[in-house]
Amino acid sequence: MEKRNNKKIIIKVSDLSKSFNNNIVLKNINFQLLEGESLAIIGASGSGKSVLLKNIIGLLQPDQGSIQINETEMVNLPRNLKEKILLDLGITFQHGALFDSLKNWENIIFKTANKEKMKNKQGKQLAFSIINQLGLQTEILDLYPSEISGGMQKRVAIARAICGNPKILLFDEPTSGLDPVTGSLIDNLIKKAVRTVGGSAITITHDMASVCRIADKVILIDNQTISWSGTPREMFNSANSKIQEFIKPINSKIFFK
Amino acid sequence: MFNFFIDILGTTGKKFLNFVVNIGHFFIFFGSAIFWIFRPPWYFKKIFQQMIDIGYFSLPVVGLTTFFSGMVLALQTYNGFTEFNSETTVARIVLTSITRELGPVLTGLMVAGRVGAKMAAEIATMKVTEQIDALGTLGTRPMQYLIAPKIIASLVCIPFLVFIGNTIGILGGYIIAIYKLNFNPNLYLYATMEYLQLIDIIQGTVKAAVFGLIISMVSCYFGYNASKGAEGVGFATTSSVVISSVMILTSTYIITALFFG
Repeated sequence: MEKRNNKKIIIKVSDLSKSFNNNIVLKNINFQLLEGESLAIIGASGSGKSVLLKNIIGLLQPDQGSIQINETEMVNLPRNLKEKILLDLGITFQHGALFDSLKNWENIIFKTANKEKMKNKQGKQLAFSIINQLGLQTEILDLYPSEISGGMQKRVAIARAICGNPKILLFDEPTSGLDPVTGSLIDNLIKKAVRTVGGSAITITHDMASVCRIADKVILIDNQTISWSGTPREMFNSANSKIQEFIKPINSKIFFK
Repeated sequence: MFNFFIDILGTTGKKFLNFVVNIGHFFIFFGSAIFWIFRPPWYFKKIFQQMIDIGYFSLPVVGLTTFFSGMVLALQTYNGFTEFNSETTVARIVLTSITRELGPVLTGLMVAGRVGAKMAAEIATMKVTEQIDALGTLGTRPMQYLIAPKIIASLVCIPFLVFIGNTIGILGGYIIAIYKLNFNPNLYLYATMEYLQLIDIIQGTVKAAVFGLIISMVSCYFGYNASKGAEGVGFATTSSVVISSVMILTSTYIITALFFG
């Protein structure tokens, strides 16, 4: 078992590059996600953060490089094996990607219900227990995603990701479009999922307050590569001009007393 | 001037190559969809929902279209044949035209417009809003969960729709023949039953099954390959209806030629 600092390596990305029609989006990306670690990926819009996430979960094929999840090489892995690995991941997409034709409770338990073949009553109970943690009212369970607000949809998507307590969580902008109170609630939930359940998380975000709350480690993607990495505390002492641009609106004293 | 022709040739070549690539992609999609139809798990709830949508909810539009077509056919045939004192052939012509051609084709075109457009729009929206990507990450194969139920339901329901459409079309002809043209009802029914042939029913059913396959495959293909947001959804919907309709009209000739050519 490959370890670093005595911790198991959960995700290892090595020399990953990705381009679209000669437009290079990512070049020689290298990083590792350790067991029990919460990693935040920051970067300007269009810098390739979501592309990186889609490469990790196999929705995009990298031009070169390697992606390992729990020591299994994901690049060129047969589809059925890839699907088995993805079942242990909790993923949210940038715009929620809830299924329009299913009610919210059906969306939340979709993966678990497929795995365990549960009855409607059991499924609803499971969805109920999860949305309670997310500050959502139980009435929304029987509604369709189009019948609730964007912020609620985001939380239902997070509920779907954490249903079944997956050990690896990947969030694409989980708090964008949410009010600060709900955003903080989501951050606490991510923290709880990582610390209590012993999971590991990668969160793509522009929300620096969120980064300070949830991240053990931060990487900045700029100009196709990882131009900076460190802890949130180191981020506030960094001389990197891009990092400075990101943290300018944030008062670090609020987060690090 | 030379450069102008080179540009035209280049653009034409590029378009042709794109066309060939799309045909190739379509057949790969077709093969993949057929493969997944026969692989468990089968999502019976989804299949049932699709059968209700395709079969039950298409009944009014199919019924109305074939009913009026049967009526028009009886009237036009009578007008054309009165000069030759051949009114009795009306029953035969209505029956043959409806069962062999009009019933299946009109049903196919109506279903392509109503159901095909819906299928393409639904899948395309799911594609551009990352729902299909999400499905894949939740341990469900989009081909099995989304595409296979639509194809199975189309293959089962469209032959039934054609059968019902044929019956209603013949009824339309009967109503005009009896109540407007004052034919003898017993004679008309006798003539209809006498000319009803098994080969016509078989041919109509084959056409219906082929149209079901065409509508579901083409619509799902365009939906599944949609891109560029709302514009892509619109393009997928329009393309699915146009291509399905053209393929229905092309294939009906081929099937007719195979049976009666």
